[in-house]
Amino acid sequence: MPASHASKLIKPEGALVDLNVNPCKMCMPMGTSQAVYGIRACMEILHGSQGCATYIRRHMATHYNEPIDIASSSLTEQGAVYGGKANLFKGIDNLIRLYNPGVIAVCTTCMADTIGEDVPGMLNLWRDEHPESEATLIAVSSPGYAGTQFEGWFRFLHALVSQVEVAKPSNNETSPSSRQRPLVNIITGPTSPADMRWIKSLVGRFDVDAIFLPDISDNLDGARSPKYNRLSTSGTDIADVARMSQAQATIELATFIPDDYSPAAYLHKHHGVPYTRLNLPVGLRDIDAFIAEFARISGDPVPTDLTAARGRYLDAMIDSHKYNAEGRAVVFGEPDFCYAVCRMCVEEGIVPVVVATGSRCPGFAEAIEPMVAELASAFLVDGFDVVDDADFGDIERLAVKRGANIMVGSSDGRRIEAKCGIPLVRCEFPIHDHVGGQRVRTMGYEGSLMLLDTITNSLLQRKTSTFRAAIRDEFYEGPGPTVASPSQMEHSSDAPSSSVPSAVPAARIHPCFEDACPATARIHLPVAPVCNISCNYCVRRFDCPNESRPGVVTKVLSPQEALERYLLARTRVESLDVVGIAGPGDALANWEQVRETLRLIRAVDESVLFCLSTNGLLLPRYADELIELGVTHVTVTMNAVDPIVGAQIYRQVTLDHITYTGEAAAAVLLSNQIAGIKYLTSRGILVKVNCVLIEGVNDRHIDAVAAMAAELGATMANIMPMIPVPGSPFGNRPLVKNSTVRSTRERCEQYLPQMRHCHQCRADAIGKLGEDVRALFDEKPEGAVRHQVAGIAEEDPNRRVVDAPRDGSTASHPQKRVPHVSRVAVASRGGMLVDQHFGHAKAFLIYETDGQEVRYRDRRVLKNYCSGSSDCDEHEQTDEAYKRVLEAIGDCDAVVSLRIGEAPRKMLCASGILPIATCETVEDAVREAHAERLATQGSPPLDASC
Amino acid sequence: MKRNAARGTTATMAPILEERKSSIMTADGCGGAGIACDKVSVSGSVSQRACAYCGARVVLNPITNACHIIHGPIGCSSYTWDIRGSLTSGEDLFRHSFCTDMRETDIIFGGEKKLIASIDEAVEALHPKVIFVYATCIVGIIGDDVHQVCADAEERHGIRVIPVQAPGFSGTKSTGYRLGGQAIMDLIGSNPFPRERAHGVNILGDFNLAGETWIVKGYCAHLGIDVVTGITGDASVEGLMRAPEAKVNVVQCAGSMSALAETMETELDIPFIKVSFYGIEDTTSSLVRMAEALGDERVVRATRDFCSEETRKLEPLIARYTPLLAGKRAAIYVGGGFKAISLIRQFREFGIETVMVGTQTGRPEDYDVIRSLVNPGCVILDDANPAELERFMVEKGADILVGGVKERPLAYKLGVAFCDHNHERKHPLAGYVGVRNFAEEINSSMNSPVWRYV
Repeated sequence: MPASHASKLIKPEGALVDLNVNPCKMCMPMGTSQAVYGIRACMEILHGSQGCATYIRRHMATHYNEPIDIASSSLTEQGAVYGGKANLFKGIDNLIRLYNPGVIAVCTTCMADTIGEDVPGMLNLWRDEHPESEATLIAVSSPGYAGTQFEGWFRFLHALVSQVEVAKPSNNETSPSSRQRPLVNIITGPTSPADMRWIKSLVGRFDVDAIFLPDISDNLDGARSPKYNRLSTSGTDIADVARMSQAQATIELATFIPDDYSPAAYLHKHHGVPYTRLNLPVGLRDIDAFIAEFARISGDPVPTDLTAARGRYLDAMIDSHKYNAEGRAVVFGEPDFCYAVCRMCVEEGIVPVVVATGSRCPGFAEAIEPMVAELASAFLVDGFDVVDDADFGDIERLAVKRGANIMVGSSDGRRIEAKCGIPLVRCEFPIHDHVGGQRVRTMGYEGSLMLLDTITNSLLQRKTSTFRAAIRDEFYEGPGPTVASPSQMEHSSDAPSSSVPSAVPAARIHPCFEDACPATARIHLPVAPVCNISCNYCVRRFDCPNESRPGVVTKVLSPQEALERYLLARTRVESLDVVGIAGPGDALANWEQVRETLRLIRAVDESVLFCLSTNGLLLPRYADELIELGVTHVTVTMNAVDPIVGAQIYRQVTLDHITYTGEAAAAVLLSNQIAGIKYLTSRGILVKVNCVLIEGVNDRHIDAVAAMAAELGATMANIMPMIPVPGSPFGNRPLVKNSTVRSTRERCEQYLPQMRHCHQCRADAIGKLGEDVRALFDEKPEGAVRHQVAGIAEEDPNRRVVDAPRDGSTASHPQKRVPHVSRVAVASRGGMLVDQHFGHAKAFLIYETDGQEVRYRDRRVLKNYCSGSSDCDEHEQTDEAYKRVLEAIGDCDAVVSLRIGEAPRKMLCASGILPIATCETVEDAVREAHAERLATQGSPPLDASC
Repeated sequence: MKRNAARGTTATMAPILEERKSSIMTADGCGGAGIACDKVSVSGSVSQRACAYCGARVVLNPITNACHIIHGPIGCSSYTWDIRGSLTSGEDLFRHSFCTDMRETDIIFGGEKKLIASIDEAVEALHPKVIFVYATCIVGIIGDDVHQVCADAEERHGIRVIPVQAPGFSGTKSTGYRLGGQAIMDLIGSNPFPRERAHGVNILGDFNLAGETWIVKGYCAHLGIDVVTGITGDASVEGLMRAPEAKVNVVQCAGSMSALAETMETELDIPFIKVSFYGIEDTTSSLVRMAEALGDERVVRATRDFCSEETRKLEPLIARYTPLLAGKRAAIYVGGGFKAISLIRQFREFGIETVMVGTQTGRPEDYDVIRSLVNPGCVILDDANPAELERFMVEKGADILVGGVKERPLAYKLGVAFCDHNHERKHPLAGYVGVRNFAEEINSSMNSPVWRYV
């Protein structure tokens, strides 16, 4: 019998009880705000502090891509203490001035309810004070702590139907024919605008007079119009709300709505309007029921095209059912959404293994468990969870535990998607990271089919992109977890059934590890200049020749530069899926830089694949860190598995400051290579072994290398001909014949798949194999900047500028100056711009310029020259202030400030200091002062020109 | 392709609210009274601002290995969960939103017990180095003694548990910035580091949106300028604790960090300079100024060379884009004054005139500079609302708006292009690389073919 946990009170192990971790819900005012946009000419004012309105506006604006205007009564501390009536009244008045709304919804926030605001009473008072106003005011109690957006939505609707004055039925305006059309209220829970449009068009097919409450279809998904209206022009007319009491029937599309604030229940109780509550029209049965209800009320037959659409939906359900049978879904969101999607899933054979709503919702588990249990039994799925009052901490834990492979909900599941590799179908508010939230369709035969197809295709995408590797791993590469990726191992242990793919990140393709050049591009980031071994085919001056073409020098990048290079490359190179570290030295011999580089890139890109190349000497040391950083592909160059052969290839090997030579060197290297490769493959890392074929040295030994590599669990071997590099010990050896390479590879095929498309790339290659697109990056000649910096470093290290004095003492004023250099005092708060009044300056920045270069000297602190008007009236104090200024900057030629008063201007001129008012950057201002000074030089004394 | 601004769109001009008139002015060169700013928002005006809590969150959120617990109802937690693109090179605990999720009973009986339990649970499950506890509006009202709860928790667990008393109603977003800064001081302490051993800089007010802190740090590393820590871009608790070692504070987003910089100057004896890394001109002068503030002549020279080289490299870019952009008109509505100032100048680099400029939290000095910088006729607004933005964008014929996420749909409805110079940006706009991205973004929006069809 499938087990299920129904409530947060008996939360499974690992869950936090008191702390909400990543909320799967929003607050009531969010729901009121959404529903308000379903009423024509309605504006909302949130009674509380300013932030509530702004946050909700941001959330809605990114989902709906529509301007969202919500007012706030902007309560402050005063409001909190003395009540917010004055603020609220002013807010209503301002709202009317700015928008002139027909309806104003005054919704409370946590704060207003907590300080005990009597909003209905205040609104009565406001109406008394404004008898002329035609605006309908609605008071809604919607404190954030008392419920989620789901409840907020209905609370507003309930307030509306209970507070809008009921219209008197008029006998003279209806013609006999229209009188026969039944009036039906259709009240909907949270929907997308597109779904709302579908509901309206469906109802329009039947001969009924319908009032839709609310109708967000146009206001939250507006058409481009030459005229922009701040105030909503569509939505339910308040006059129609007034008529709802006269309806023959109400249909309420909601499942978990409490009667307390059900508009349908209210209309029934107070006006005797009978009502039917239907589930959201999602999935075959509930769409059928919805359509059947209208056929019943109107007496019309179901239109044939609807029957045909139903047939197509059913046909598609059958076509897709086997793909979907692998679906283990997480469904999260508002209670009604979860319920509707679950009903659809179980019709199709997708098992909802985790159903979670953030709302506290009595009856939620009881309603959902039986249907899931039935399917789970049929499909032999062992367990599932249905929880209310859940957060994303719960959802992630349960999704992993239940081996989910698809999520259906809002974009708030995106972090689980990225972390656990479970694809997310976004079809619930809020959707922040995709477009089209306002156009999401889930209702009606076409809408449900669109949702179903999206789910099916997400499952198919996973399947088609993983099955080759998965099957090869299981049956070709041998059993066990050795070839599974770490995340696969983690999740598969708990997977409900072995035939169901668990949460494995989508298979990713590495161009070097495939058997042909695929479309994937890679970027090699040259961040590793140092090498810890010396090979006889290598010249240190150049890059490592086993990975790069000979005679190449790569400009080494810092991790930062590497990140920038990567970010730039990503914008210019298509399908750039792989970042590799291939030298120019050994990646692990430069571990700090490599680690930093990978960290930086991982922080901006969660999915790019990491690979690196190494001689393997330091592999045992860094293997764990490599795996942690997300490196999935490692290439180890292993030229020999016998120290005697190795000794002919390696001159020396340096490990922990000890340099080994001869056979010892080869043995140290070999033992580390073996340990490292073995460990990596046991942890699921794909290892390729590169082997440089050197005729007369290891050409007869390569088979042994390949056999050993295979035994260690390597995936592939790349046997490369040695390229003789002039100046290296092997520089004069002949080129290896292609036929030798070919036959060696053929022989070694029996041990390991062979890479035959190697291009021996540069350490800074970018693009697909064989097409290096570095040129696109229009780099300047290699190392230019580097050399500049190096050049500077060679200068006298003792030449330092004296630190700027911080105490404002003038003692350090340089005494002698060259006449063509101006010294300028700058009034600037921070030093970017001239942005301070002369009189407000607490300090001056002193600069010198020759008209070209502008150089900062020091900072002179003084007591405020002007600390208020009373000071300035006092002559003595003013004189004192002048003295202080002159003490500080008397040696300057000019003073630059944003503005300067007349008196100080005169004072400065009299002292031979040129005052200049400007708002330029400091540099430009200083140059300007210099130019001005030169221009005035030779002319009569300064005060004449002032 | 030339086009008229706000083409095809008309709008009904909304009246300007009486209380708002003093916060709107037309630039007229220098002189005259200043703009009214730095005040609480007018009720019912539909301000674009958030609250004090938001300000504190903005400042503290990027501390990557801190646990941020919101003591309050779920909305405050939900709406601030991982919405800002601050990147991390280390842990990502900060990208989780932890909340005490207060309900009706907590309002009635007080939330202290729940907060205590939540802190205990967080310590046990997450082993954080530091916990920040944000007190939201209702906590301020029901009177939970958050200070005491935090002090007790510190004693119990031996880690720092720092209260951030920033209920939304306690002021504007600027108030929140200040309170966030106080929490940072609370963490790093006020013992000055021996000045003679001080080294390097702290970068204040860059929150590593789209990796911008890394870009600046990259420049610094290249030039031999030691960066002690970002405050708070990609900051770890350990890094922050070393902040007192810095010789100079470099303040990027002046609006959010001025108060902290001033406190650090008074208490820790660290002088500060203000910088901006938006636009070629500002990036260059900022880097040079940083180098000069550290007083190493070689670094200064290397920086000048580096900057002129980078500027030279961008010349072809400017030359290519300018013909496509020159003569257009820009509207700016951003959070702080410093960014607005940088943007005016950056637009000018491409021959674009700013015709409307406003900020949520600008200070009188910022507006003084803006007034002096823009051409006469430019409309300047503080704490504007949608009706005003609409009115002036249409009236001034803006071709592009730079703004926040909320403003984007409004711009599009008015047929105005848009630049996302906000917390959602996914590409860096700072530094020299940012100049390229900025040019690409504004060009691709202003010269998009979609406007032909409206």
